[in-house]
Amino acid sequence: MALQRSLLKRSVEAAKAKCLYNLSLRCFSSATLTPPELPPFDYEPKLYKGPLADEVLEKRKKFLGSSLFYYYQKPLNIVEGKMQYLFDDSGKRYLDAFAGIVTVSCGHCHPEILDAIIEQSKLLQHATTIYLHHAIADFAEALASKMPGNLKVVYFVNSGTEANELAMLMARLYSGNLGMIALRNAYHGGSSSTIGLTALNTWKYSIPQGEIHHVINPDPYRGVFGSDANLYAKDIQDHIDYGSSGKVAGFIAETIQGVGGAVELAPGYLKLVYDIIRKAGGVCIADEVQTGFGRTGNHFWGFETQGVIPDIVTMAKGIGNGLPLGAVVTTPEIANVMAQKIQFNTFGGNPVCSSGGLAVLRVLDKEKRQKHCADVGSHLIGRLRELQQRHEIIGDVRGRGLMVGLELVADRKEKTPAKAETAVLFEKLRELGVLVGKGGLHGNVFRIKPPMCFTKDDADFVVDALDYAISKL
Amino acid sequence: ICVASLSSPVLQYCPAFWESTGDSRDIGQSSPIKMQRFAIKRALSGIDFQPWSFSRCLSQVARNEASLHENHDVLIPKMPPFDFSPPPYNGPSADVILQKRKDYLSPSMFYFYKNPLNVVEGKMQYLFDERGRRYLDAFGGIATVCCGHCHPDVVEAIVKQTNRLQHSTILYLNHAIADFAEALASKLPGDLKVVFFTNSGTEANELAMMIARLYTGCHDIISLRNAYHGNAAATMGATAQCNWKFNIVQSGVHHALNPDPYRGVFGSDGEKYAKDVQDLIDFGTSGSVAGFISEAIQGVGGIIELAPGYLPAVYSSIKKAGGLCIADEVQAGFARTGSHFWGFEAHGVVPDIVTMAKGIGNGIPLGAVVTTPEIAEVLTRRNYFNTFGGNPVCTAAGLAVLNVIERERLQEHAHVVGSYLKERLIALKDKYEIIGDVRGRGLMLGVELVTDRQLKTPAKVEIMHVMEQMKDMGVLVGKGGFYGNIFRITPPLCFTKEDADFLVDVMDITMSKM
Repeated sequence: MALQRSLLKRSVEAAKAKCLYNLSLRCFSSATLTPPELPPFDYEPKLYKGPLADEVLEKRKKFLGSSLFYYYQKPLNIVEGKMQYLFDDSGKRYLDAFAGIVTVSCGHCHPEILDAIIEQSKLLQHATTIYLHHAIADFAEALASKMPGNLKVVYFVNSGTEANELAMLMARLYSGNLGMIALRNAYHGGSSSTIGLTALNTWKYSIPQGEIHHVINPDPYRGVFGSDANLYAKDIQDHIDYGSSGKVAGFIAETIQGVGGAVELAPGYLKLVYDIIRKAGGVCIADEVQTGFGRTGNHFWGFETQGVIPDIVTMAKGIGNGLPLGAVVTTPEIANVMAQKIQFNTFGGNPVCSSGGLAVLRVLDKEKRQKHCADVGSHLIGRLRELQQRHEIIGDVRGRGLMVGLELVADRKEKTPAKAETAVLFEKLRELGVLVGKGGLHGNVFRIKPPMCFTKDDADFVVDALDYAISKL
Repeated sequence: ICVASLSSPVLQYCPAFWESTGDSRDIGQSSPIKMQRFAIKRALSGIDFQPWSFSRCLSQVARNEASLHENHDVLIPKMPPFDFSPPPYNGPSADVILQKRKDYLSPSMFYFYKNPLNVVEGKMQYLFDERGRRYLDAFGGIATVCCGHCHPDVVEAIVKQTNRLQHSTILYLNHAIADFAEALASKLPGDLKVVFFTNSGTEANELAMMIARLYTGCHDIISLRNAYHGNAAATMGATAQCNWKFNIVQSGVHHALNPDPYRGVFGSDGEKYAKDVQDLIDFGTSGSVAGFISEAIQGVGGIIELAPGYLPAVYSSIKKAGGLCIADEVQAGFARTGSHFWGFEAHGVVPDIVTMAKGIGNGIPLGAVVTTPEIAEVLTRRNYFNTFGGNPVCTAAGLAVLNVIERERLQEHAHVVGSYLKERLIALKDKYEIIGDVRGRGLMLGVELVTDRQLKTPAKVEIMHVMEQMKDMGVLVGKGGFYGNIFRITPPLCFTKEDADFLVDVMDITMSKM
């Protein structure tokens, strides 16, 4: 009996040990025993002889104000970029998994874009639209050809904020109504009207921002109705019925919220909402500042993933691979309402930015970046979901194509934001050579939205780096 | 070589030009003055004369319709020579572009001229159309191109930086934004040394208005009738010309009487106008305001200089009401006014916030707000972020612009050439009844056309005609004012005396035939 008991004990111990060993193999794969290495890149950055980080930081503090925040305890002095990589003042290479906030779409200093910009800068930088120039016309035509339905009148501006301001103006003029509806957790800009649409308190200053209502965010991860689009859409109907005159100016939403932490709208949401809004006399605005230009992989525009056609589409960021450029595309009916007064943008549609924008469309097409985003994106998301299996701290992996979010939580049930851990991991990733972004109201979401030339090897590197960093927490 | 090759297109143009203006219409309308035609013709034939000496001849000659046809080509002033030939243009023609604009761009997008100009290239103060024809750019892309189109130093800075890094955002460090902010701050008086970069004048003014409202905790802002500050929600409120204001809610802005020396009810009495601001504060607000915003010389409004003494008086009222004074230097800044670097300096005031754009980058999309550290502090209450603002390429260009302005002494140049040009325009005013007023400072000048000097009736139709003629003769000017009857002359600051003469001579000829 004693022998049987000791045999049993030993076999249980052995089983435990084996189990632990297997467990350790899964948690501590070879990738996490040593820090992963950046994929190779055949490029030498130019020699940098300018001011170093400390000097630049001093000047920033003195001349750019204390409100100008930056990433990292020891901020990074980025002096050069090439495709999906950035270089600091010591020549160290980093994988840019954030693309200057989803802005560098084709790749830093992409040769074709450079060519277009430089050639045009030598010919004519600026004359305004009071004279003709082919660049703005060609670019408008090319952009319009990418839009569905009757969306074909293009207004060029200089930023996403300006684009959303204009869209809001159009909505109010066209509908003759005042009230706008936006989603909680949205970001649409920082000027006087767009700050009203923006719905994250850290970005809202204490100034009047009238006639805008924020509805329940159709957030599948944190939203009170999970992925049930119908219940979320009902909140909009309720607001219109009880909180407005019954008529509204319009509705605006990002298809995947950017600043808000890569939150995808519950499936089917926009279809329901667009219907409700139009019945109430309003127009539907799709903010494609981050999701546009093929980034989501299966479609060129984010709104296409929800099977809708908006009345107005706004865009910026990726449109020019970093050039200060924005645009609003709408229908001739809505555009005609704007024709009652003069609406003019001095820099908007200038030859250099238009040439750059046209080059971007060409590159995205030629290099088949949209499909690339779908392929690399699903590979990335697949690997991140595997990682989620092994690390409790990863509460959610979401997104589409190369617009991905990773939410870190201290408790998977409570979904308590793991703010401190996110901050630590953020720094660790930088040390390992990966630059990601941060988002969400609590700053606990990693935003992985790289230049669209990002490869599967780059994706693996990001995941391995994350794996390594998390296991060292 | 340039003069010879370029004068022929100009000359070839003339027959069409004469036909289109319909000489028969002019016969009998203007009182003929004696002209020493044949003498001049003989003296001038075969001689390579200088434009300015020619113009002096012109101002004394009479016009005789019949004899003009004989040798009209000697009457057309010659553009100053320019040692540059653009490469041939193989792109879409004006018609193709116009059709695409109609198909794909805003229906409210207007353009100048009956036959809009297809501008394909620029070099310093000149522009070239699709046929390689050169024009004197006296509008500067709306007071925007300050150093000159494709100025080599600015292009070099842009190209160099574009090859390194276009964009990364201020989340990371980069020296370009820091160096430019430092250089810009050094150009401002007082404690104005914290810079926020935006992408346009509208964004800059929006931010300035928000800062004022946050700093004071008040909402009311006072701006001037006839002002232009932008087209976003708050800036459209501050803008004060109905053509630019859509029928949407624009709250919290009060528009004061415009201290317009030419049309204003109090003439040049700055203090009388300033009382209107005090009245607005006393009766239209709680007594405390967020601030006051104005251009030192109204641009879109038609180059209206604020009556002397106005700004100091108003700044005083605003400060007493706890408000901040915002100087919109989008057009008047960057040495354009000649006498000073900033327009507000000519009025002897120091604002609390200065906004700028247009000339700041010689045409690159860039804007900025400069204020004191104390006021800048308000933005720390939340996050204000501008994705493109302060990007390496635009800030590198901005720094290059400041260096060019200094190295080429463009401020002094604007003062000298501007004063000369203004003098010649005033002489022209003595000659033609239609010129109601000549005003402005440095290379920010306005010429107001009226059909009646007493009533100051805007010459809305005549100005279109003159503008077309001037373009046909190779001069591009701008137009402004509520009635659209004011020429705006805001060229690149490399504009020379010869250019000034050419401009005036062309205007002279046109008006002489009206």
